[in-house]
This record gives sequence, structure tokens and C-alpha cells, in this order.
Amino acid sequence: MNNLALSKENEQTFSGDPVMQVKDLNVAFNNHGGQAKILEGVNFCLYPREILALVGETGSGKSVTAKSILNLIPSHSRETTGEVLFDDRNLISLSAKDLQFIRGKRISMVFQNPQSSINPVFTLGEQIGRLIRLYLPHEISAVMHKNQCSPKRAIETIAKDKLNEVGLTDIQRMLKLYAGQISGGMAQRYRIALSLLSLPEILIADEATSALDVTVQAHILKLMKDLCKNKETAILFITHDLGIAAQICARVAVMYAGRIVEISDTKSLFKNPCHPYTKGLLKAVPKLGKNEPLSFVSGMIPDLVNPPRGCRFHPRCGHAMDICREKKPKDLMVEENHRVSCFLYNKQ
Amino acid sequence: MTASLIKLEEVNTWFPYSKPIVGKPESWVKAVNDVSLNIIEGECIGLVGESGCGKSTLGRTILRLAPLYSGNIHFLGDNIGKLSAKRLKPYRAKMQMVFQDPKASLNPKMTVFKILKEALVLNKRVAKEDYLEQAVKLLNLVDLRPEHIYRYPHEFSGGQQQRISIARALATDPKFIVFDEATSALDVSVQAQVINLMKALQDKLMLTYLFISHDLSIMEHVCSRVAVMYAGQVVEVQNSRSLFDAPRHPYTRALKNAVPIADPESKNDLGILKGDVPKLSNPPSGCHFHPRCDFRDKICSKVSPEVSKINGNSWVRCHLHEKLWKHGALISE
Repeated sequence: MNNLALSKENEQTFSGDPVMQVKDLNVAFNNHGGQAKILEGVNFCLYPREILALVGETGSGKSVTAKSILNLIPSHSRETTGEVLFDDRNLISLSAKDLQFIRGKRISMVFQNPQSSINPVFTLGEQIGRLIRLYLPHEISAVMHKNQCSPKRAIETIAKDKLNEVGLTDIQRMLKLYAGQISGGMAQRYRIALSLLSLPEILIADEATSALDVTVQAHILKLMKDLCKNKETAILFITHDLGIAAQICARVAVMYAGRIVEISDTKSLFKNPCHPYTKGLLKAVPKLGKNEPLSFVSGMIPDLVNPPRGCRFHPRCGHAMDICREKKPKDLMVEENHRVSCFLYNKQ
Repeated sequence: MTASLIKLEEVNTWFPYSKPIVGKPESWVKAVNDVSLNIIEGECIGLVGESGCGKSTLGRTILRLAPLYSGNIHFLGDNIGKLSAKRLKPYRAKMQMVFQDPKASLNPKMTVFKILKEALVLNKRVAKEDYLEQAVKLLNLVDLRPEHIYRYPHEFSGGQQQRISIARALATDPKFIVFDEATSALDVSVQAQVINLMKALQDKLMLTYLFISHDLSIMEHVCSRVAVMYAGQVVEVQNSRSLFDAPRHPYTRALKNAVPIADPESKNDLGILKGDVPKLSNPPSGCHFHPRCDFRDKICSKVSPEVSKINGNSWVRCHLHEKLWKHGALISE
């Protein structure tokens, strides 16, 4: 409970400043073929009460970024440098013991496949009950006092309350079921309810809606949007769907081969995309009501064991210049809140 | 208007749900329930719906891969619905399928040549000596290089693997191909490449496609006509253009509104559809969609709606479609 009170205080001091800063994050995996440099100098900030989208192709390093924030990648054969600043501490160098107070509690995560991230051998009621006991002991005693009931009843009341918030119905029956007995949409809503129990400052959603139907996805997206408004949670939304980014996110970061090539507020990115990769990606999106042949970015994502020299995008880029093949582009501000890393915008 | 290649008449695909030791099953999962559909030669017809609505089962039923409970399937005028496996063989080569997960549908122990050869054996027009030549031709068709022929599936990227699947489907000289979520596992940029390839092949080889997907936004790029499926029934068939501009069924509108559009300026409030997809073992009475419908009337929960024709090859299955159309209730500004 002390922690909860603490987090409330922190929100006050953080307002305006970023809740989390990722600075020059590098991650490399050692495998048979050599060292694969998965992330190379990832920089971004997450502000309170915003939804930041992280978009890119498969293998661009989106999930690795998310997992590195909470140090969830097994440490053998992995090398991480850089900083993830949260609450004035660098999460990368924190011990597992210290991280325990942050993981799931102050920064929580929702994964792509909801069914596999819920324990299949305990009922849904048992699992949420355990977390309520852990995170909300004060609330339990308050409810016990108010309703004059046993702790078990109090936990049930809180569980119903929390699950109701994410739009679930028929909760009484649901609490007795197992993960395999509910649909994907219900499971994902249940997962989100679990990750919000501790009132986290940051919620990382890793492709949280990719496995769901559009109609269920619409529910979840609306839920996330409301959440961010009402609960003051910042959301890092990892997705490959640019439509989602456009509809619910305030800012969008585009990743390519382990680098953030462009980061901007959503309006400016879709209106005025700067990086050739972003432009290509936007053109490849099929649009409702427009029937023109789809264009695409030719070529493939590079082998990260031997990444291309210079800008990692140059072999696929239509505007590649000599300098692109030799030097790595630096981050440039093209507008306020619009950063791109490409030599085309280098005025020197 | 050209002739229909495939004609489905009141097709039912039911799976036994609980089966007693002796006798007939007591209840059925009605995955495909009373579907009649015309597939015209040379067109690409789309099939959309939520997961669990029976769209894959319908695709498999047409190819006779799923057991047909009742109804008729006409392929080029012949009723193939009741043919035995042996007599079905000549038709099998004419109808092919491309699956969602290319990695799982290609044998990891076979080279590309072996994979293609397996299918080429079924093609009576190709002599045994010409298999290699034909396989190279197929690879060229799908924009892969001849030197890829002795590689294994894992050496290719997802998009390339899907091209191999397409090449395999083309090996038997088919007339009709079912794409079952063939691009759903691919990235947008790769998806665009595969879709462009599919369209080019269709023009070149005069193919007919059934394109199954849950993604409405690619439908218009790929298909000329789209069928919308809900809880085992096709509820609306329209030209793709008019389907998106002027949906006739409330479910189509709900599906369309749920697609996030890649344009922050567009005011899409992500229309929310209440409730869940009904269980196919026990669908709601009357119109299957009525518990989730905003416009439902008394009749909807009692009587199952009949097919009402809109024009030509378009029809809708809704009691209230005329009323809704008159008031323009389904057209968004």
C-alpha cells in the first residue's frame, strides 16, 4: 500500500515531464552466426496520459524494446547498454529484486495472446483474487468494514467491480471458469483488468489486439483510450497496424531494423511523413473506399548479424545517396514534436 | 453476365456436437447453415466475418474438404456434393487452396522442387520429363528466381513462402482457388506485394478466387464482390464498392465501423458492437444477429429472414432492410 501512495505522489511531480525515458538503448544477441544487433540507439520518451504507438514490420525490434524496458529478456547471450529512466532510476541496471516492485505493479504489460498469458490451471477468480490481496489490501479491509463481510466476499466484490470496469458482463459465472473456457476478447479484457489492478503508471500493450477480431478490437481500443483519460496511465502501444496508431495514439514512433526512424505526433506523421520508410509503409496500407493498386517497399528487412553499413534502410530506399551507405544518420527535428533520422533532411 | 463456375444450393455443413454411442447425434454445430451462393467465372469473391462465423468451413466445404451435411455444390454444372472420393479426383485438381500460415502448410523436409512436383503429378497436361521445366515456369510466375528451386521452405521469408504456396496451387492448372486468410500473417508491405501478385495472376490465367479474410480493408482491393457471413449464414452479398459505401445489413455496417482507418483526421469513433458471436451449436432464434442489432424489431427474434434480392447478383438477408434503406440508417456521413 505504501507503494500505491508513493505512485500517487509521483504522478504529481511527473506532470509535464516524461514518465519514462529510453536513452540510447542497444540490445544485441549472441547467436551462432555472430552478434545480432537487434536494437541500435533507441531513443524516446513517454509522457503521462499519452498513448504512444510503436509501429514497424515483423523483426524490427518492437517487442524487444518493450521487453527490454522491464528487463524481461533472459540475460544469457544478451547484451544491453543504454538507459531506461523511470522514477530517476535506470531499469536496465536494476537488480531482479528491485525490479519486482516495478514489474506488474508500476509498469505492467499486456501480451499478444491473452489465453497463453493466463494461468490455465487456476480459475479466473483465484488469479484475480490473488492479485487483489497483493495490491489492494486496504481496499479489502475498507469493503469488509463497509459491507460487514468476510475477506473472501470482499475480494469477490472488488473483483466484480474491476472486471465490470473493462466492460465484462456475467462476472459471477466467469470467476469460476478457466482460461480455456472464455473467448479471446473476454480473455484480453480480463488480462487488461489484471494489469490495471495496481494502478500502473505505464501500461505496455504488445500487439494486444492483433489476435482479435475487428469488432472485439474496437472494444479494447476504446477501453484503452478511456483508461488513459480516466486513470492517468501512459500506454506504450506496440502494433503493426497503422490504422490503430492513427485512431487512438497521440504520438507514433516508426521502427525499422532496430532504430526509431521517425517519431512524431500522429497528425503530423500521417499528413507529412518524412522518412522514406514511413512513406512506403503508409502507401502499402489498404484503405477502405479507395481502390488503387497497392504500392509496397521492395526488398526485405536486413539480416541484423551483418546489418547494412550506414543507414540500415539504404538498400531498400529509393532516395539513397552516397552518404547513406557510409554514415549513420543523426536524429533531426523537422517540426516541433517531429523527429526523423534521415540524411534527406540534413541541411549541411 | 458470364456463367457461374460454382453454385451452392442450401449448403449445410454440420458437425456432430454430442454423439451417443448408438444412433444419430443429438445436437449439431451448424458451422455453415443454409448458404446459397453463386460464384461467377473470372471473379474474385470475398468472404468476411468474425472468427468462428464459419467462413473457413464454407471454403473447405466448397472443396469438399469438410463433410457436407446436405445441399448441392455445382462445379461447372456438375453436382460434386455427393460424389465419392474416387470420382471427385478429377475435380480436385481444378480447385486449390492457399492457407493462412505458409510455414505450416509447406513440408519442411521437402525442397521447393519436391513440393511443386507433388502437385504437378496431378496435372495430366505435363509430361514427367517436363516437371523441372514446369516448376521453373511456376516460380517465374510468382516472381521467385529459378535458383530457389532446390532450397527448403525455412530459407524463405514469410512473403516468399506464401508465393511458393501459390505456385503449388497453380501447379495443377486450377480454375478456382480458395485463399483462406492467405495474407493475414504477413506485414502490410509484404501483404501488398502478395495481393498485387494475386491480382496479376488472376488476369493472366483467368482464375476465379474465393478470398476469405477478416480484414475488410483489403477486400475492396482484391475482390469485385463480397459476401458477409455471420453465425454460419451469409447475410449480405454486394459489389465491393457498394458494400462499403452503402451497406444493407446492420452487421456489415458494424463490421465496417470497427475497422481503424489509417488517417487521424477521419472521425471514426470505432463503432462498438455489443455482445459476443453466438455459439453455433445453439444460435439465437429468428435472425441470428438480432440480439446484437440496434434496429431489431419484434419479427427479428421469431422468423428467420429470407433472401431478398437488391439487384443482379446482390442480395441481403434482413427483415428490415427496405425500411433501413429508405431512412438511410446504415449510411454514415
